[in-house]
Amino acid sequence: MKRTILVIDDDIDLVEVIRLTLENAGFDVIDAQSGARGLELAREQGPDLIILDVMMGVIDEGFQVAYELRGNDLTADIPILMMTAVSDQTGFGFDPERDAEFLPVDEFLEKPLSPQRLVDLVRKHLPATA
Amino acid sequence: MMKAATYSPAPATDESTQFVSAASLRLRSDWFIKMRWGAAAGVAALTLLAGEVAHIPLPREPILATAAVLILLNVVYAVRNRRVAPAVIAHELRVVKVQMLIDLLLLTVLINLSGGLENPFSFIYVVHVLIASLLFKGRDVYQVALFSAVLFSFDILGEHFGLLPHNHLQGGGVLTHAPLYMAVSLASFWLVLFGCAYVGASIMRHNRTIKNELVARQRQLVAADKAKLDFFRFVSHEVKTPVVTAQSAVEAVLGVAGGEMSAKAAETLRRAVRRLNQALEIVKDLSDLTRTRMSADRDVAEVNLSRLVGKLLAEQGELIAEKGLVQTTALPPEDLVMQANETMIEKIFDNLISNAVRYDIPGGALRVSLLDLGDSVRLSVADEGIGVAPEDRDRIFDEFYRTPAAKEMSALGTGLGLSIVKRFTEQLGGSLQLDSTPGTGSTFTVTLPKS
Repeated sequence: MKRTILVIDDDIDLVEVIRLTLENAGFDVIDAQSGARGLELAREQGPDLIILDVMMGVIDEGFQVAYELRGNDLTADIPILMMTAVSDQTGFGFDPERDAEFLPVDEFLEKPLSPQRLVDLVRKHLPATA
Repeated sequence: MMKAATYSPAPATDESTQFVSAASLRLRSDWFIKMRWGAAAGVAALTLLAGEVAHIPLPREPILATAAVLILLNVVYAVRNRRVAPAVIAHELRVVKVQMLIDLLLLTVLINLSGGLENPFSFIYVVHVLIASLLFKGRDVYQVALFSAVLFSFDILGEHFGLLPHNHLQGGGVLTHAPLYMAVSLASFWLVLFGCAYVGASIMRHNRTIKNELVARQRQLVAADKAKLDFFRFVSHEVKTPVVTAQSAVEAVLGVAGGEMSAKAAETLRRAVRRLNQALEIVKDLSDLTRTRMSADRDVAEVNLSRLVGKLLAEQGELIAEKGLVQTTALPPEDLVMQANETMIEKIFDNLISNAVRYDIPGGALRVSLLDLGDSVRLSVADEGIGVAPEDRDRIFDEFYRTPAAKEMSALGTGLGLSIVKRFTEQLGGSLQLDSTPGTGSTFTVTLPKS
């Protein structure tokens, strides 16, 4: 069975780019352009992995979504890859290694990411098939 | 010959003088011309007054002739000031000094003709020395003082030993008991006191005006600089998102369909990726430039400089090998460690080292040395590359500026690396020095305080 990746990002063009790469690698991709819609899809469809953009409309919407995903039993165990275009724009100036404890995600990445690296990271964090 | 240029944030000025420009000194010189007209008129009036009213037997003709010489010279000075545009401060200062020495000579002639030691106007020498002390510096001031002292002493001693004629101010009697002499003495004393006060106050007022102007300009510069950085930040953020998406899109297409398209088509897309990566480099440098700005004191941690230098050289290893550079590294015997903002230190070191590697000639020497200076640390990076022409020395630290030689040598490069180095060095309280000869190589030296 194909694994499903949920991409939450308000940049529709980038969503399509990620879709192209991941579908080519054999994944199913569903997407949401807002945090609220993303949470809904995550609960309803239980994707195998979530790619989440930090920014979107509100400055820390990505973080809010991550915390809500972690706080909900339905979605708490889904791995999250968080991506940002501009690592300092958030003003947090965090470091994924150093700040991993309070960053409720599995990987924090700065865009751009080569297609190969994206696929590798997705495979790395996907839970083993039951 | 190697020439050193130390970067300084202040505009280049002639530190040997208070004057900002030759033009501002010229305003002073015009003022002296006015004073000279007054002096000549005063001498003529006092001489006539002394003869007609006070019946003091002064040698009227020689005195008036001396005043006439002063007027003539002053005409020459005035014409020169009109005709010759002020250019070099040092030159203008020399002209003013020569004029002052001639004034002192004429003053001595006048003093000799009107009583020598008896003439209370000998105080006027003091005013000249005061003016000299405000205008000139160091040796020139003492030259004027010495010249005044020698001239006056020459006259007094000359008169005493009969080498020079003595012209009595008033025949016979004890001078201090003569009411007229007392009055003139006191008047000249008052004149000198207020003359000094006026000269000092007027020159200092001029200086304060200049200073206030400089402070105001400095504020404008700081504000403009901040506006520029805000703009950079805005641009880098706004540009990065679309470029990232475009870059990812092209790479995704290459990844998915690169094998199916013609080699030419795939190569064209790879070209696009390279150019988009170049744009991302610029954006990244711009955001580096604006990012750590206010936070030199933030995120302070222990930085192992020795290890950092090793790491950065290792990162350049491939290119160093490719260019066949002869690398020499001098590190302190023990790991050099300091407390600082690691990101900033790394950006400074990284830019200097990667620049040296990039602009070195193939097979050239690459010397990197790290020194512990006790209170500070020093990184020196030398290459045998294209060097920096004297006229580019200050500009290479400007954002986006790349020298013609640098552009010719390497299409890559954002023109932001050295401005990042400069900004971060300043924020860390350090200094930056460049020794370079075009075509022979450059040595960049950064010195950073440990605390």
